[in-house]
Amino acid sequence: MQSFIIAKKELKLLIRDKLTATVLFVLPFAMILILGLLLGEGFGQKNDDLMRISVLNLDKGLGLNNKPWAEHAIDDMVSTPNIKVEIIQTKELANELVKTGKRAAVIIFNQDFSDRVNECSFLSTGVNPFHRDGIYLEKLQVSIVKDNKQPATSAIIESVCQIALLRIVMPWMIGKAFEKLGDPEFIELLGKEVSLPIPPSLRLLMPKEKIPLGELLELASGKDVVLAKNYREKVGQGIQTALTGQFKNYNLTGKSWASLTRSINNTETVKTLTTFQNDDGTGILKRGAIRYQILVPSFTVMFAFSLILISGWIFVAEKRQGTFNRLLSSPVSTPSILLGKFLPTVIISLFQIFFLLALGKVLLGLKIGLPTWSLTDWAIALIILPIATSFCVASFSLLIGLLSKNETQLALFSSVPVCLFALIGGCIFPWEMMPDNAKTLAFLTPQGWALDAFREIMPSSFDNTTDFNLIWKSALVLTIMGFILMCVTWITLGGIRFRSS
Amino acid sequence: MTQAHSVILKIDGLTKLHGQFKALNSISFNINRGEIFGLLGPNGAGKSTLLSILAGSSKPHTGTACFDGMQIQPNNLKLRARIGLVPQDFAFYEDLTAKENLVFFGNLYGLQGTLLTKKVNEILEIIGLDDGKANQYSKYFSGGMKRRLNLGIALVHSPEVLMLDEPTVGVDPQSRNRIFEAIKTINATGTTIIYTTHYMEEAESLCNRIAILDHGEIIACDTLQNLLSLTKTTINFSIIENDQTKAGLLQQKLPTLKQATLQGSYSLASHNNPTPEIINLLVNEKIQIISMQLDSPNLEKVFLSLTGRHLRD
Ligand SMILES: Nc1ncnc2c1ncn2[C@@H]1O[C@H](COP(=O)(O)OP(=O)(O)O)[C@@H](O)[C@H]1O
Ligand SMILES: [Mg+2]
Repeated sequence: MQSFIIAKKELKLLIRDKLTATVLFVLPFAMILILGLLLGEGFGQKNDDLMRISVLNLDKGLGLNNKPWAEHAIDDMVSTPNIKVEIIQTKELANELVKTGKRAAVIIFNQDFSDRVNECSFLSTGVNPFHRDGIYLEKLQVSIVKDNKQPATSAIIESVCQIALLRIVMPWMIGKAFEKLGDPEFIELLGKEVSLPIPPSLRLLMPKEKIPLGELLELASGKDVVLAKNYREKVGQGIQTALTGQFKNYNLTGKSWASLTRSINNTETVKTLTTFQNDDGTGILKRGAIRYQILVPSFTVMFAFSLILISGWIFVAEKRQGTFNRLLSSPVSTPSILLGKFLPTVIISLFQIFFLLALGKVLLGLKIGLPTWSLTDWAIALIILPIATSFCVASFSLLIGLLSKNETQLALFSSVPVCLFALIGGCIFPWEMMPDNAKTLAFLTPQGWALDAFREIMPSSFDNTTDFNLIWKSALVLTIMGFILMCVTWITLGGIRFRSS
Repeated sequence: MTQAHSVILKIDGLTKLHGQFKALNSISFNINRGEIFGLLGPNGAGKSTLLSILAGSSKPHTGTACFDGMQIQPNNLKLRARIGLVPQDFAFYEDLTAKENLVFFGNLYGLQGTLLTKKVNEILEIIGLDDGKANQYSKYFSGGMKRRLNLGIALVHSPEVLMLDEPTVGVDPQSRNRIFEAIKTINATGTTIIYTTHYMEEAESLCNRIAILDHGEIIACDTLQNLLSLTKTTINFSIIENDQTKAGLLQQKLPTLKQATLQGSYSLASHNNPTPEIINLLVNEKIQIISMQLDSPNLEKVFLSLTGRHLRD
């Protein structure tokens, strides 16, 4: 078939052009590698303006609701707006992270933390954790390892820790104290300490000015022990009720900040709790680094669409050499000519995509797919998506190549799909680094769709599901875009060939 | 004999506009099967425009061109296989060898296997690229070799009509002879040749019939012989001064003789060569000749006489 003859010739020409072949395969990978080594740890992570608090939880005790107090503290921090909590797994790791300057500070809840919090009380027998500026961390068995080179950040982290602890300890202590109001021992104490004045009319009966509350209660109960106890309890309840009425904006028995302050849980706060992941990769190539999960799909998509320039270049060269006119004046049908020029680009694009993914996997420890994927899933990710992308690339190449009369025009025309679309589509700066509505704009470009799907098949660290609907949708959109471009090309070429003036 | 005179291409009232500009203005002529037909005209006359219509690459605004009774139209793909066009500008893949180019275009026209190999070798021989050159990248070829390859590609599908658009531009004499030989060889196998040029010598030495195209119009179309007879042969001669007395006699015998500005110089123009007549006269009258120069007719003069302009400016 004539298409294959043209396609074969085209590939032969391309392979002979060593420089182009190099550019096609080596350049994208070199760029991934260089950027990967240059870019810092934060690249490609969601720039969500959240303050990260690293926590090591060694707490072995139990607190309120049979939950360790450390977890209460972590919950508190997580629920605080603009803060995300990252759990560090071991003490060694915590020290290492601080020592290497990767974390400014790590908060450590030691194993007795819950027990110490439980002991906190306003009573003289309990632990009083407060001092002028906040809480004595060492009294609660909380320590913070700090990087001396990042004093500002570690100071902020310490403040966050202080506030969280205050919000844990305060309600707990108040709640416990309030309960104490009902204790018979407390009432007895109260009965001894509080004396009530006796009105003059009753002084006949009691020749005193004041009488202790305890005596009064005993008097009232007429020495009935059960009744006396009952009265004492009533006084307790009375005090509690009175105080509750007085401070009705607070639930004094709440024991947690939220109940104490009667604040409705702010459900809109995005709670971010993560566990520490080594995003740095290993070895000189930083194998497995999270940034490659972003870089590889970005550059794979960007360079796939850069083929527009290269294929277009070959097309324009063909026109300049006059051989395109020879093709047009041959008996070969227009679809065959188009297909012949279309197939090589598809093939090269597929090769390029697989080359980058394979090299990424082997050299950079790129993660592709999830262990849970079925064979169909793999086929969608590694066959349907690359083919749809390549189809769109090839159609775009053909149209641009056909419309460009010379290399200058080609450079001009292709700068839009190759550079501008790559930028808008998120291949150059990840969406995470761009304003919120950037992603909406990205979906105007084929790169945006392709990138969205390619990133889905290369999961980033905290994402353990794959949205195959998204991949299907992207593949469909790319195919439709390619099909439209193809039709435009066909009509244009038919015009040039058969209705030429 | 009837075969030689059957019309293979019938061009009837072709008009082609490039925008407002009339590149071809209602031209009509026929080309016979098996002849070498010359299309002579200065640059911009419309030769390439005409060939592109005949090759089916472009559409005329009015008029028709028929190949073997079928109208040539861009969407008539079948006709294309019977026509070969050697474009004015090089048209081959510079990064393919001569052989690869021929094989590619052969494939494109549906040739394969030993038939193709045979055909390719045959063409390489005809165009003189059958030695080591066949396997060299064509971008390293000389101008002449490129011209020959350009020609060869149009031959690979054995067209019935081969159209050449100024195939000798920028070519050394050796390559030019090669191309001429190739054309004659191809023509000898029965292929009709349409040869486009603005070199009148080429048309004269190669073509059976010639159409002269100027400003998009056919100003003459005939056999070389008939075209040449449109102009006169001029003979210029000078005689010795003491024979001046014989001048009157000459004038009397040759009424069309013209006295030139220089004393004793004359010129005579005639449709048939007047040389024998003059020499006889001069010998008989014992008039001594200093110089004699014959100015034979050529297409340049035909063009000049038809248009008042020179073919090449
Ligand atoms: N595509 C075109 N657009 C406008 N004018 C053209 C075009 N092609 C040719 N012409 C003009 O038509 C005339 C005939 O051109 P052409 O057929 O190439 O002449 P020739 O081959 O005899 O030198 C020229 O004056 C040329 O400038
Ligand atoms: Mg021309």
